[in-house]
Amino acid sequence: MSTPAITIQKLTKIYPIPFKREKVTAVRELSLTVEPGQVYGLLGPNGSGKSTTMKIVLGLVAPTAGRTEIFGRDSRTVESREDVGFLPENPYFYKFLTGAETLAFYGKLCGLGGARLRERTRELLALVGLENAADRRLGGYSKGMLQRIGLAQAMVQEPRLLVLDEPTAGVDPAGSREIRDLILDFKKRGITVLLCSHLLEQVQEICDRIGILHQGVLVREGQLDELISIENQTEMILENPTPELLAEIRAMVGRSKGRVVEEGRPKRTLERYFLEVTGGSDE
Amino acid sequence: MTAATQHKTFSLARVFAIASNTLLELVRLKVFYFLLCFALLFIAVSLATSTLTFQEQFHSMKSMALGGMSMFTLLLAVLSTAMIIPKDIEERTLYTILAKPVPRFEYLLGKLGGVLAMLLVAMALMIPMLVLVLYVKEQSSLAAASRSLAPGPDRDAALEQIRLAAFSADLIPGLIIIYLKAAVCASLTLLVSTFATSSIFTIIVSCMVIICGYVQHFAREHALGAVAVGTVSVMNFLVKGVTILAMLMIPDLWAFDILDDATGALPLDLFAQTASLGGVYIAAYFLIGYLIFAGKEL
Ligand SMILES: Nc1ncnc2c1ncn2[C@@H]1O[C@H](COP(=O)(O)OP(=O)(O)O)[C@@H](O)[C@H]1O
Ligand SMILES: [Mg+2]
Repeated sequence: MSTPAITIQKLTKIYPIPFKREKVTAVRELSLTVEPGQVYGLLGPNGSGKSTTMKIVLGLVAPTAGRTEIFGRDSRTVESREDVGFLPENPYFYKFLTGAETLAFYGKLCGLGGARLRERTRELLALVGLENAADRRLGGYSKGMLQRIGLAQAMVQEPRLLVLDEPTAGVDPAGSREIRDLILDFKKRGITVLLCSHLLEQVQEICDRIGILHQGVLVREGQLDELISIENQTEMILENPTPELLAEIRAMVGRSKGRVVEEGRPKRTLERYFLEVTGGSDE
Repeated sequence: MTAATQHKTFSLARVFAIASNTLLELVRLKVFYFLLCFALLFIAVSLATSTLTFQEQFHSMKSMALGGMSMFTLLLAVLSTAMIIPKDIEERTLYTILAKPVPRFEYLLGKLGGVLAMLLVAMALMIPMLVLVLYVKEQSSLAAASRSLAPGPDRDAALEQIRLAAFSADLIPGLIIIYLKAAVCASLTLLVSTFATSSIFTIIVSCMVIICGYVQHFAREHALGAVAVGTVSVMNFLVKGVTILAMLMIPDLWAFDILDDATGALPLDLFAQTASLGGVYIAAYFLIGYLIFAGKEL
């Protein structure tokens, strides 16, 4: 079996509050594994410890107890960061750099240089659709553009793992959709993704597996399909049914042991409707 | 798909990337130009000072211009260093950098390198101004002396005096010391910013330490004098301990103000001694700063 992309073992993080005796337990005895190729969604209300967990995995914050690994390498080592890209929550990058300069800077930090770095920068700008903004300073970028340059920055050294902290927070629906599509694209290419988000609908669309944190404790964990499918119900969507057909089906259901729980027109999501009306980037 | 290159425990390329980015950040900052214009103006205005004899004019002009340069590089060092790390923390750019395979040591070294490079740029812009001002003054003084004095050995002597008092290579060690003093203050400010939570706190603490650095010379003599005539041994011990601690933590900036003599020149041995003191301070503050930063909760 291959090495897990992320291993978290009995992780606890207690933050001291300066000048006070009390402490905040941000994460408590958390254990989970993210397998290569998975898109893992970490869910939970604000303050439940999602960002803290991610920062510990990336070695930015030291755990109080427990251990985390990236592809088998201890998070406390600098080497563990070779194969991971990170997009923090509400990131700001250097406003005085242009999009292309930003990617070149992060590329150099990963040991890239010369023609290879130029090539990679161009590739990434095309990937996130920012070729036209490549020579503009980030000070003038919109929130959605910043998130996309952030994703490109995370991908600069072609890591096998991406850690994304609320990648669509504060982005308008069209931008949010673009970011979702990018993540799906990464998934297709076999990149493992750990993300947290409040937009449950999007999480549902892209995640294979989820974990739910509540006050630092992992309360539920598993494959998304298994967690949310309702075991004893089946859904059937008909196109252009005649009233007679519907009456017949209802009669058949009445004769059997089953029961019609709900009947009505399926609704498109508000997101889809919004994108249709505004002509967003929806296909 | 695997990492193409073996991870290097120390990479000069990464430090260089961070340093040049920091330099770019500082040079694209408005405060840099503001301070620099002010410094250039100050040096130019020192030209207008004209009193007493030609030689004395040069002295007052030189010490004013050099004093101005020294003060502005110091201000530039403290103000710009104080903002870089707190800003990276506040805007979370630090997360994106340290989430790459970048050791914290390299990050800090790159930041210091960027500030030192920026100070070099500032010096490189101020020195030509200084040379120009001294040259203009030299020419006008020579002309005035030629006009007012009758030809003869007296005039030749006066002209020679003026030439000696104008810009010469003797000034170079003094300029290096001015740079080093600013570099010591930058390194100190970097150390403060590793445990501070904001730029403003960093600036206040650093300025306080720097002011103490100017007066520690007197305090030290006073404290050691008190020890010599002291009667209670515990008191002696305490005073000595505090003095030594203060001496270690607070730079002896007085030692860097050694240009007040007439020509602005500097004996070579004094220069070497002061320069190495500066080097030791810079390295020591950087290393203490690193020790704090390495364990810092981000
Ligand atoms: N640096 C810190 N110092 C003290 N407490 C913190 C710090 N960072 C986070 N916390 C606390 O830890 C808890 C978890 O925070 P966080 O991981 O940011 O949650 P989430 O990302 O799920 O919103 C919160 O109660 C928060 O106040
Ligand atoms: Mg968070």
